[in-house]
Amino acid sequence: MAGGGDQADNPVAINVVPMVDVIFCLCVFFMCSFKFKQLEGKFDSWLPKNKGDKGTPVEIQEIRVAMFWDVEKQKVRRQFGTRVVDEDLQLESLIKSAHDDFKAMNKPDAPVIIDGDPRVPWKDVIDVVNICKKLSIDNIEFALGAMDK
Amino acid sequence: MQKRKRAEVEENITPNLIPMIDIMFLLLLFFMLGADMSQRQLEELVLPQATQVKEDDNKVEAGAKSNLTINIHHAPDGNAPCAVYTNGGICREAGHWKWAIRGHDYTKDTLKDQLQIEAQLDMETTKDPQANKILSARRVLIRADGAASYGDIQKVIEYCGLVGIYKVEVAAAKPAPDKKG
Repeated sequence: MAGGGDQADNPVAINVVPMVDVIFCLCVFFMCSFKFKQLEGKFDSWLPKNKGDKGTPVEIQEIRVAMFWDVEKQKVRRQFGTRVVDEDLQLESLIKSAHDDFKAMNKPDAPVIIDGDPRVPWKDVIDVVNICKKLSIDNIEFALGAMDK
Repeated sequence: MQKRKRAEVEENITPNLIPMIDIMFLLLLFFMLGADMSQRQLEELVLPQATQVKEDDNKVEAGAKSNLTINIHHAPDGNAPCAVYTNGGICREAGHWKWAIRGHDYTKDTLKDQLQIEAQLDMETTKDPQANKILSARRVLIRADGAASYGDIQKVIEYCGLVGIYKVEVAAAKPAPDKKG
């Protein structure tokens, strides 16, 4: 660090003002660009290697959560089978019981397919992913719309 | 009348700058070390929150290229304010949503080409028996704003699948711990 001492003892006086100016500028730059990092994480959602790009028909052996966008209410409507599910807890128990049924049928890897309208906000999709992860279901699939030709 | 005596010795009032410089250096050091330059490829957006999300360790496998981050963020042309988005609504103006990689915006057409290039940079060495072709080993992280439309994310996933990228991850934010509990 810079030392002290009597200035009269020092025969070579250095003009520190330009240096202070530069340090001020640097300080202002870093202070303005400084931002606290948000705690971020990720969900692995690796794509299936052998399907998805050819539109092959799949035998229905899955748990499907349909998500629709209500334009008038500007709200998402979630459907599990024919039931409309608003509450997260209700959806969680429905997915859990369906998953348990598949496990009893010796198909523990039955996927949960999130089949959403393209207008559905991403945060609502993530809510469903979060519920699945909470139930330790790793096989989650995103249904895609019609492919571009 | 008695005349006042003038001070014989002029007082030196030059401030001592040394302590200030010391403090400035410390501040500079703090901000320089605190500024994480690796965050520059992350656009400013509001991630959806999820409690079960696993922490991103930013680890890259040995010999692999760095992870590719695709940001889907709300950025109206000319930075014009969007009343719907600003008020926490769901903006569905297609022109207000951008797909960005390393600070560069892409359209639906150009993104596919760019992903093709990125996929080619890190290909697996052997043919995958399931896919019956050589796939890309590149990892793609989709960082989408919570208000972005699912259709945009579907499109990115679709393009990843088409160019042979299967290691796809989606980003979410960990909610701040409840202080009451």
